[in-house]
Amino acid sequence: MAAEKIGANFKRNMFTENQVLRAILGICSSLAVTNTMKNSLVMGLGVAFVTGLSSLTLSAMRNVIPHRVRMLVQTLVIAAYVIFVDLLLQAYMPDISKQLGPYVGLIITNCIIMGRAEAYAQSNPPIPAMWDGFFAGLGYTMILMIISLIREVLGFGTVFGFNVNFVGFETWTIMIMPPAAFFIIGSMIWFISARAAKKAARQAK
Amino acid sequence: MKRGHIYTFVFMVAITAVLVFALAAAYEAFKAPIQDNKALQEQRAVLYALGLDAGLKDSEVAGVYAEKVAEGAIGGVSETAGQKVLAHQEGGQPVAYAVPFEGAALWGSLRGYLGVKADLSATTGLVFTYQNETPGLGGRIDEEDFKEKWRGLPLQSGVSLRYGASDPNLPDAVTGATQTSSAVLRTINKVLQEVVFPGEVK
Repeated sequence: MAAEKIGANFKRNMFTENQVLRAILGICSSLAVTNTMKNSLVMGLGVAFVTGLSSLTLSAMRNVIPHRVRMLVQTLVIAAYVIFVDLLLQAYMPDISKQLGPYVGLIITNCIIMGRAEAYAQSNPPIPAMWDGFFAGLGYTMILMIISLIREVLGFGTVFGFNVNFVGFETWTIMIMPPAAFFIIGSMIWFISARAAKKAARQAK
Repeated sequence: MKRGHIYTFVFMVAITAVLVFALAAAYEAFKAPIQDNKALQEQRAVLYALGLDAGLKDSEVAGVYAEKVAEGAIGGVSETAGQKVLAHQEGGQPVAYAVPFEGAALWGSLRGYLGVKADLSATTGLVFTYQNETPGLGGRIDEEDFKEKWRGLPLQSGVSLRYGASDPNLPDAVTGATQTSSAVLRTINKVLQEVVFPGEVK
């Protein structure tokens, strides 16, 4: 297989195969942390960082990992990086660490990371695997930012904590709560899938 | 290449050892800044509960803390929730107390300080040093909007606090986080009943 160009890799992970919208992975955290943009951004970057590094490591070891226990090894490597990120945040960004609290630890269970390890890092060289993981994380970050923008503006009347509610708009409590993300993600998936289906139909002709 | 059980076993032991070693090394390397941050956060929290932290830079916290905060006792109680009661002293006289508390919230325990004026007439502030609530929902008890409403609430012996959004003399709960908000209220009322006004309301 010819190596995928980095630009194509980026485009694939950000848009055509976006992990949240096309693979429906990482939904749990997309529902939970997206009511403020700041939390979404830090969470997204944390996932991008961990996915990139774990894909790099797992890809570098892909020829020595016994196939039967590869998932155990993936979990181990991912967990190690997550703990590392947690320590890093505690040491140098204590405020954000305090705010994200349990969610840093929960990066381990983000399906995107293991999904990338299984689907890509396992059968590709380390450097492309690293970019693939990192871009998949960025695609996740982008979706989180879009959802949290909608939720924060309608729910709190703020953007990154700055007040943008100049007209006395009555904020919607539902937007702060997880069900709002359900509706937003659902609508986004609907839109993207319908477009993809249309495109596939056009190509089939 | 077909690999046997022994290879698999040795591989798992080896990779686990390598990762554990790497994490232990990282932990050692970050230990000093993490502990400094924790100490700073604790001192800042106490100053916040006493209403003394406004505009303080991180570098000034330790100085102000050493100058104004000392161990104290409220109604003869010098230790609550396993921690020392602290007092804001001016000229050797206590002005306010920071009472450590501990309680159970929705997902985990809750720790922090409740600041009370020395004459027990009002609160000076509320702060959490540990909470494990859902970020963005219950976790918002840690935001200024929530905490600031706990400043200067009139206290009265025998009267429990309750939430009331439109009353400036009452705190306001977090929307969408009823369980966490109730847990905070329960914890604070317990502190009021057991430490601030002991033996008056059962």
